[in-house]
Amino acid sequence: MSETLALETREVSVTPAPHVASEPASGAFANGVVRLLEASLIWIVLLGGWFLAAEYAPLGDNPLIPHPLVTARALWESLPELWVGTLSSFSILIPGFLLATALGIVSGLSIGTSPRLQRALFPFARVAAPVPPTVYIPYAIAVLPTFKLSAIFVVFIGAFWPIFQNAAAGAHALEERYRDNARILGLSGFEYHWRVVFPAALPHIFSGMAVGLGFSFILLTVAELFGANAGLGRFVQYYADFADYPKMVAGILYTGLVTFLAMTGLEKIKRRALFWQR
Amino acid sequence: MSHGLYLEGVDFSYDASHILAGIDLSIPAGQFVTLLGASGSGKSTLLRLIAGLQFPQRGRLAWDGKPITGPGLDRGVVFQDYALFPWLSVVDNIAIAIGKARPETRKAERRAEAAEYLKKVGLEAAIGKFPFELSGGMRQRAAIARALALGSPLLLMDEPFGALDPVNRARLQDLVLEIWEAASPRKTIVFVTHDVDEALYLGDRVVILGSTPGRVIADLPVEFPRHRDRRALFNSDAFHELRESIAETLAADTLRQLIAA
Repeated sequence: MSETLALETREVSVTPAPHVASEPASGAFANGVVRLLEASLIWIVLLGGWFLAAEYAPLGDNPLIPHPLVTARALWESLPELWVGTLSSFSILIPGFLLATALGIVSGLSIGTSPRLQRALFPFARVAAPVPPTVYIPYAIAVLPTFKLSAIFVVFIGAFWPIFQNAAAGAHALEERYRDNARILGLSGFEYHWRVVFPAALPHIFSGMAVGLGFSFILLTVAELFGANAGLGRFVQYYADFADYPKMVAGILYTGLVTFLAMTGLEKIKRRALFWQR
Repeated sequence: MSHGLYLEGVDFSYDASHILAGIDLSIPAGQFVTLLGASGSGKSTLLRLIAGLQFPQRGRLAWDGKPITGPGLDRGVVFQDYALFPWLSVVDNIAIAIGKARPETRKAERRAEAAEYLKKVGLEAAIGKFPFELSGGMRQRAAIARALALGSPLLLMDEPFGALDPVNRARLQDLVLEIWEAASPRKTIVFVTHDVDEALYLGDRVVILGSTPGRVIADLPVEFPRHRDRRALFNSDAFHELRESIAETLAADTLRQLIAA
């Protein structure tokens, strides 16, 4: 979502609309208001719909759609518990995702630049990558000594493949002029990978990381449904067992917000790292 | 064949098309040779073979008495498109070349030396900038600085100014001549172009390639004295005569192709 929004603003700054130039300040301001309205319309409609449904639909004593204000209070009251859950979840997500990023980049770049490694390992990757990582969860929990370790493992598996595949594709698609250049300068081995292939593949790598981060959140919360004693997925599951719908919905909204913030953070890092692309 | 560049019977095909046919060429060290030809004459391919980026199916290539078996720091290249690494600052693009040419130098020394080369090509103001912040002419200056920084005695230039406007093009031609004339011993330069004026202004010798397949159709000395004055040269009768005869040679080759086709 942030991607398309950013694109839109860039377009606006590049192509000056002729009528804006003729009536400067007020026109730009009106334009801004219209844009803000466009962007917030979907939120207004959804919130209004929720409010109306909770207010007027006959939903009973413990409605499956709790009133927005009730949900807001539940969210406020649960914040300390949600914060503890966030810390617990991130202690799984961060090691799993970082490990997947490191290994995904190293193996992806190595395979992407070596036809021999490609021939040796792609047949395996082609079979192993599409396996839905969720099926590993029960086995990982059974095999590994702690729940945390098994959850980290599952997050790792989920994030690894998209990062690996994109890194390999990025290395494979290295532009010929950069490769020629590296050969002319005599860059080879680690230096070639570190100073040429890696930066050239970074746009691909970041796409893989965005997909991988999305998968990480899915796998994290699913794993927490199985056996955690804290965490975001666990929070929702716990209150579902008590049919406490306001807290459940609050947990879902909070998890959505955390995921959005994490993705936005990654997008920011990407922009900073890829400043050299015009 | 002990010194200089030596090509004998070089044949190159790519897929089914015959790009270069039986190229024989001998270039003494220190000579400035321009390779002139229409597009499709294989002149860029010939340069890539000399650079060691590609290999001929037949024939021999040698530089300074040694057969060419791959890219080497004894041959610097300036490409047609701006081939600086966009993720490195201008100074680091040149420092990385210095690091390869003289691995014993330290990082700070490399940067300082890179700055010297940038000054030489008139880019001292752009030292900390990135390629995307530079104009086409400035990027090509940086590419020249990088090739110089490698310290190679042979410079291969593949239509380096093809994408520049006429003013920048003339400036950079003068820059290359200035650097080449000032150095001692002089570097050997093979400069690919499709612009007759450029070929005559720069070269000691113009080698003309005909098309499909590429082969040498003329090899002419350009005997205008050095420290050439652009305006006086372009207005001289000798220049016009040479220019005319080259134009005729190129036209005859085009005609031959049309008849063959």
